[in-house]
Amino acid sequence: MDLFLLFLAAFLVNNIVLLRFLGLCPFFGVSSKLETAIGMSMAVIFVMTLSSIITWLLYNYILVPLHLVYLRTATFILVIASLVQFTELFLKKSAPALYKALGIFLPLITTNCAILGVAFLNIDYGHSIIQTIVYAIGVALGFMLALVLMAGIRERIEFAPIPKPFKGLPIAFILASLMALAFLGFVGLFGLSL
Amino acid sequence: MFRHFVNGILKENPVLVLAIGLCPTLAVSTSAYNALGMGVAVIFVLTMSNLIVSAARKVIPQNLRIPIFIIIISTFVTITDYVMKAYLPELAKNLGVFVPLIVVNCIILGRAEGFAYKHSVPAALLDGLGSGIGFTLVIFIIGSIREILGAGTWMSIPGGFEGFKVFGEGFLNYPVLFMILPPGGFLVIAFLMALSRKLTGEA
Amino acid sequence: MLVSSSPHIRTKETIESVMYAVVLALMPALLGAIYFFGLRALFLTALAVISAVLTEYIYQKITRRPITALDGSAIVTGILLAFNIPVNSPWWLPVVGSFFAILIVKQLFGGLGYNIFNPALAGRAFLMASWPSIMTGRWSAPIRPAGSTMSGIDVVTSATPLGVLKYHATPEVVAKLNSGPMLKALFIGNTGGCLGETSALLLLLGAIFLLIKGIIDWRISLGYIGSVFVLTGIFYLFGITRANPLFHILSGGVMLGGLFMATDMVTSPVTPLGRWIFAIGGGVIAVLIRIWGGYPEGVSYSILLMNMVTPLLDRLTIPKRFGEVKK
Repeated sequence: MDLFLLFLAAFLVNNIVLLRFLGLCPFFGVSSKLETAIGMSMAVIFVMTLSSIITWLLYNYILVPLHLVYLRTATFILVIASLVQFTELFLKKSAPALYKALGIFLPLITTNCAILGVAFLNIDYGHSIIQTIVYAIGVALGFMLALVLMAGIRERIEFAPIPKPFKGLPIAFILASLMALAFLGFVGLFGLSL
Repeated sequence: MFRHFVNGILKENPVLVLAIGLCPTLAVSTSAYNALGMGVAVIFVLTMSNLIVSAARKVIPQNLRIPIFIIIISTFVTITDYVMKAYLPELAKNLGVFVPLIVVNCIILGRAEGFAYKHSVPAALLDGLGSGIGFTLVIFIIGSIREILGAGTWMSIPGGFEGFKVFGEGFLNYPVLFMILPPGGFLVIAFLMALSRKLTGEA
Repeated sequence: MLVSSSPHIRTKETIESVMYAVVLALMPALLGAIYFFGLRALFLTALAVISAVLTEYIYQKITRRPITALDGSAIVTGILLAFNIPVNSPWWLPVVGSFFAILIVKQLFGGLGYNIFNPALAGRAFLMASWPSIMTGRWSAPIRPAGSTMSGIDVVTSATPLGVLKYHATPEVVAKLNSGPMLKALFIGNTGGCLGETSALLLLLGAIFLLIKGIIDWRISLGYIGSVFVLTGIFYLFGITRANPLFHILSGGVMLGGLFMATDMVTSPVTPLGRWIFAIGGGVIAVLIRIWGGYPEGVSYSILLMNMVTPLLDRLTIPKRFGEVKK
């Protein structure tokens, strides 16, 4: 039950993009087409889960015993950057089909602050390794939910007579605002707060 | 000269035009004070990393520059994080995970790579200060708008100054809470973006 | 059926005839609101309508677009917004709500036919986020309450029947909520609540008129109200909710939402299958929020959340015509 609540908080109640403001660059950057939104989401689910596990192990089994906690920021970002590179190489060699689908999104992921943010949050919240995995998957699926809904709507409003200063990015922000407003309906679900 | 300044704020504004550095801009702009805190932290990190990158630009090998930049930036981010936690714990709590996340703020790596690595130390220093102030200005304006409408106060400091009362008692009883909630952040940025487009004549 | 493809009805005559039919269909509930809650209900509704129409007019004047402020759609938004606020709200609440609904939710997206969210509901959610104490705390009891059915429930802090169920549900109170007189009061409308949502009878009366005229789709109403009924019925049998399913569909905003808001043709899917999914999804979310959520009522959020899914539902359920090239 605790794990279910942790998942639900990460997925809906504290939705990473709409209510926690992490991962906004890809949220606005790759949400104009549904296909790319799905591809990006898949890549994020994969990398976020993997990077959360690795940074958690690194922190608890290397940085803490060696009293190097102050190196957290530097190590985490380097680990994530190299992880993305390795994933890219690995997929290219052993899973070309998957690489074809996710390949172009992998370099973009390095700039996704949600990946690093979730790695930090796992430490700050004192998650166990199981909680870390559940949390990472919840956050990543929440990212996917927001991104896919956003892409579906942006495709629809592509040809709408939106006032000129609002075309493109500003209307996407208005959309995000209204989506976040609707997501406020989940606040308090099972006592989970914002 | 003035036109140049306006362009820097409006036409090449990282947040409003290029849409980078969005996450901290939205997340910590719930009050003017929080926004200012984040802005000053970014100015510090940006100026110092520009300084070091520029000073060491002759010894940083081309192909290893990005990881080295990241290490330099994260050093100053860690210093900021620890100093803030020690001396301004309330602010550190409000900014939360967004302090260590300054390390992935694209503006900072962008200036290191795009400017400091190719220019002299004084130029890099000024560039860092300038870009940092530009970022701070936007985030401070957004924070001020959200705090004034959403709480009815301006520049209130947790555990300290209770803030200027902008609209008087009637409004203070019923401020537009929406503005300090997440959807309010998105809305304010959308309007500022549209406004900056209108002012620069792009739309 | 009037509606065929997504950016719907365009010609002036059809928009006006449809919108004014909806206005007419909302009149029984408005008269009921005036009867149950007093003249203030009319005052607030008028303010909401005037604010909606004026916002649209001024916006269209400034941006030099064709003026369509009186095509009826802004009037519908105004009435529905007023129906979603408590009668003791301050006068500026419907004004601000309508302004937000028309400007941000409707006009910025290109006006009627292009909005993604139901304007009145998003306006209500905005009011709810901004002034929760007014929206939930200061509800007003009807001036003609339903006799003794609610007695035994603290009159001073008494909330809507749903609020009572959520926060003050002692066994005696629950027995009263499930009783025949209570259900009858909910059906007629002399209970506490937002000013236009309380009378299932009068809302149904208007909705039947719209159903006959083919302006709203029975699938959405049946899917929405039906799924609330079935799900709360199952939960009632398992003891997860203590109120019976009849109480659940008659209380709060289920009737208003399921008949007049979920059925909004601009923000609901086009295909029958899409509509079923939309309606049932909405009903399920509403029940979820009612039972486990942070608010006593989840109708408005449930429809807003499904509004977001509408483009995807259309995309998934519209059959590809022969020879159609995917763009």
